[in-house]
Amino acid sequence: MTGATAPVAIDGVGSVSSVTFVTSVTPVVAEISAIEASLFAFVVLTALATAFARDVLAAVIIFGAYSLGMAALYTFYRAPDVALTEAAVSAGVTTVLLLLTLAKTTRIDHEAAFESVNYPAAGAVGLLFAGLAVTMADVPAVGSPDAPVWGNPDVSQWYLAETYARTGVENTVMAVLAAFRGFDTFGEAVVVFAAGIAALIVLRREVFA
Amino acid sequence: MSDADASDRDADAGRGGDAETADVDSSASAGRLDSETRQGPPYTESQVIMSTVKVVAPFAFTYGLFVTFHGGGSPGGGFQGGAITAAVVFMIAFAFGIESTRQWLANTVVVALAVGGTLVFAGLGLVPVARGGAFLQYDLLPLPYLDPVKYGMEAVEIVGIAPIVSGVLVGLFFVLARGFNGEGSGPPIGERGYLGSTSEDAEPAADGTDETDETDDPNSGSAGQPATDGGAR
Repeated sequence: MTGATAPVAIDGVGSVSSVTFVTSVTPVVAEISAIEASLFAFVVLTALATAFARDVLAAVIIFGAYSLGMAALYTFYRAPDVALTEAAVSAGVTTVLLLLTLAKTTRIDHEAAFESVNYPAAGAVGLLFAGLAVTMADVPAVGSPDAPVWGNPDVSQWYLAETYARTGVENTVMAVLAAFRGFDTFGEAVVVFAAGIAALIVLRREVFA
Repeated sequence: MSDADASDRDADAGRGGDAETADVDSSASAGRLDSETRQGPPYTESQVIMSTVKVVAPFAFTYGLFVTFHGGGSPGGGFQGGAITAAVVFMIAFAFGIESTRQWLANTVVVALAVGGTLVFAGLGLVPVARGGAFLQYDLLPLPYLDPVKYGMEAVEIVGIAPIVSGVLVGLFFVLARGFNGEGSGPPIGERGYLGSTSEDAEPAADGTDETDETDDPNSGSAGQPATDGGAR
């Protein structure tokens, strides 16, 4: 596997340190470890609890725990950039904004802790789950040499090899976001800016504070 | 004055089954409405939370700046760093009251962050265009003695994306927390008619006149009606 990618990577750069990084990484099909399995169980349980909790406040708090579990899972799969975003935006900011919104509404005391199951909705979700489960058979395993990120070295390995030479930063994710796909990122930043304006318009305010 | 009531009613309607069952009966007989008792006083001064936030906030703020400024060499970047920095403001607001935080961090600062970041990002993209290149073609940036690609990217992350994200998130926080003081937003929580029982709620629209003046006197609102963040936690 690395034999296939290494010539491409070395042809690309030559003397840059990231070449050693590319050639030294060997994709390994990992067994599911205990940490991974417990994280998965935590995420699935919190997702179900979010869906079934009768009290909206409880659902919001459990949803924050779900996001924290997802952030840990992303870290486990060596995607720290995504994990940071998930932890900061989803577990932190979104939870706070949902709590703020909830605090303005009327809270109803429920006797039951969980929602009763809505069978048509459960059937629809079950069908969607079954459809997704069928496609899971074709998804490559984590670290598999057949995964597109390894099996298509002309694209993914090129970015890993060329990032430092072309941009001067080590973080390939940031280089892709800010340089290689800079125009997309500009669009995303404008979308965030537009979201702030849209909130002002919807709430009929002229100032934030 | 009724726009906040209208938004309250919309939020109630958005809760699906709960609001539906509650709307059938017109008053508190549908389920036990415990907002007054359960949410307690609007803002509770907690020594534990205030002391904790006082200790944690500088570190979290520094971490947010680190994630922003060191995004080129380690995981992170402007988006993540801006979100962490905004979360520090949320933390301070929860500990010391949303209203006092709102006065401390004026609207000008929030708007300047969001607008300034967008303008810087667009400007960094357009300068190479003016010099005959493509949008965001960093190597055409006029940076003497510095690698224009590297420092152009860092400028986009640090001066562009991070201020946009932190400014907009803090702005969303403030604008969502707006109705917590009674000022300009209907009767305060506790005296408000729930479930559309007041007559004002029947006509939510067509009063855009009394919204601009409510922001220029931040002192009047916080004195009598502190924010209700204590109960939301």
